[in-house]
Amino acid sequence: MDFRKIGLMIFGFAAFLLSACAAQDEPSWKIGVVATTNIVGDVVAQIGGEHVELTVMLPVDADPHSFQPTPQDLVAVENADIVFVNGLDLEEFLAEMVENVGGEDNIVSVSEEVATIEFSGGHDDHEEGEEHDDHEEGEEHEEHEHSGADPHVWMDPNNVKIWTDNIATALSTSDPDNAATYVANAEAYNLELDELDEWAQSELAQLASENRVLVTDHEALGYFAEHYGFEIIGTILPGSSTLAEPSASELAALEDLVVDFGVPAIFVGTTVNPNLAQRVADDTGVQLVPLYTGSLSDADGPAATYLEMMRYNVGAIVEALQ
Amino acid sequence: MPEFLSWLVEPLTYSFMQRSLLAAVLVGIVCALVGTYIVLRGMAFFGDALAHAILPGVAAGYLVGGGTYLTVFWWALGAAVLASLGIGAVSRGTRLREDTAIGIIFAGTFALGIAMISSIRSYAVDLSHFLFGNVLGVSNSDLLLTAGFGLLVIVVIVAFYKEFMVLSFDPVLAATLRLPRRWLENLLLVLIAIAIVVALQTVGVALMVAMLVTPAATAFLLTKRLPRMMTLAALIAALSGIIGLYLSFYIGIASGAAIVLTCTAIFLLVWLGQTLKTNSQN
Repeated sequence: MDFRKIGLMIFGFAAFLLSACAAQDEPSWKIGVVATTNIVGDVVAQIGGEHVELTVMLPVDADPHSFQPTPQDLVAVENADIVFVNGLDLEEFLAEMVENVGGEDNIVSVSEEVATIEFSGGHDDHEEGEEHDDHEEGEEHEEHEHSGADPHVWMDPNNVKIWTDNIATALSTSDPDNAATYVANAEAYNLELDELDEWAQSELAQLASENRVLVTDHEALGYFAEHYGFEIIGTILPGSSTLAEPSASELAALEDLVVDFGVPAIFVGTTVNPNLAQRVADDTGVQLVPLYTGSLSDADGPAATYLEMMRYNVGAIVEALQ
Repeated sequence: MPEFLSWLVEPLTYSFMQRSLLAAVLVGIVCALVGTYIVLRGMAFFGDALAHAILPGVAAGYLVGGGTYLTVFWWALGAAVLASLGIGAVSRGTRLREDTAIGIIFAGTFALGIAMISSIRSYAVDLSHFLFGNVLGVSNSDLLLTAGFGLLVIVVIVAFYKEFMVLSFDPVLAATLRLPRRWLENLLLVLIAIAIVVALQTVGVALMVAMLVTPAATAFLLTKRLPRMMTLAALIAALSGIIGLYLSFYIGIASGAAIVLTCTAIFLLVWLGQTLKTNSQN
């Protein structure tokens, strides 16, 4: 009998606490947002500003291809209002993660609507883009059809403008009260991206056309090459992912290409083991130049934001290929 | 014939192939010599376990030394010695058989290694790199270290050749001669550990046991005499390293796997030859 009273009191107290919390939290409510790579995270932060509570899943220098989320990451995803991912199979852990947290309702691929390019040769990106649009409706079945698309879309600032629009739309849907802010932030950031693109064009214009050749660790610079008129003549690791190892024949063919083209530098991302690239560079007598391709740098590093990262990369490429 | 010659020479025009071939031959010989004792004493499972048990040492070495081969080497060696002592302690201190003790220690240390690597989250210590190795990434300084430690193993084996032989073939005689059995066995464990750490970059943890066991087993089929068995095992291992890398070069398959597959193919061929010979004699 007394227990019932106590129970009632506890219930009442809990209800009071809950209402108090809700009331207190109302003015400072933020959208809970998770971003997979820190590059996506940076762009989300530019647009969401102080209205989002942002958790970035991948630490600095972690490789998005081989990353495995921890239980805490899964908890963050489960609790998030929106999970921004790069998509296009960059995050190889994604499918499993989605299954773990049950459903993909809150997952937004920022690269949606980007005209993708295929790996190995096919530079018919226009056609590819249309095909992408066609499949928009049947999203569940998309995964396989897009397995050939290069996921490293952010290496072209114009694609990041599509990211900002996708992010602003998703944030506005979850938080209509601040929609105007998100749209304004996206517009302002798009102007900065235009500026970056123009600056990159003029910087890279210093390079003669015969010097516009790139050898990279894995195929991370496809969109960069496409947009700024470079040719990727070879990669240390075969294919789109960092998880593949080259055979002796592939490595030999690459060394031949480096020598034949007189390539002055090999570019390696900070998220990739440089061991093999270092050997090829030693053997062929060319420079090994680090770039930030899969991850930003530390906050006090040279590539703390996406804009700084691209400026650093363009600078390094111009210096190496001049 | 000149076509065949250019086929042989072409891979050698690449310096990474020269380094890889040298490393594969060196590692093959060291592993085969140590492996002879492993095969004779029935320690294959122990060898496989030890290869896995060095993982936490490798991870710690990377954390401490920032990726220098020598630091990794010492830490891996330390882990291997600790693991082999741990196996001995568990099997002596309980009623459990030695293979059970090996299973417990091996899985436990391997799990510790995976846990450490998962907490580091950087390219420098990605798991596949250690599991499968990459002989194509061997640098000149790696090669020097491999040669140095390989030579050390060979010198020790030659110096204690008689003692190891008596210990392996005739434990009763070893007791009569009052050989320091425990000490010699521990020395052998250390030699196995060194061979494993030396071979880490060539074939990685997962395929290590093949380098230790297969060439020596093939030689065991061919002869019963220890010196001949050691020479044959070393020859087979060196040949497998060369053929495997040529396969990797011309067919385009992963180099570590190509070397191990060649070892296995040679074993199967020898076994088949032996079977046919015995059948025709009967």
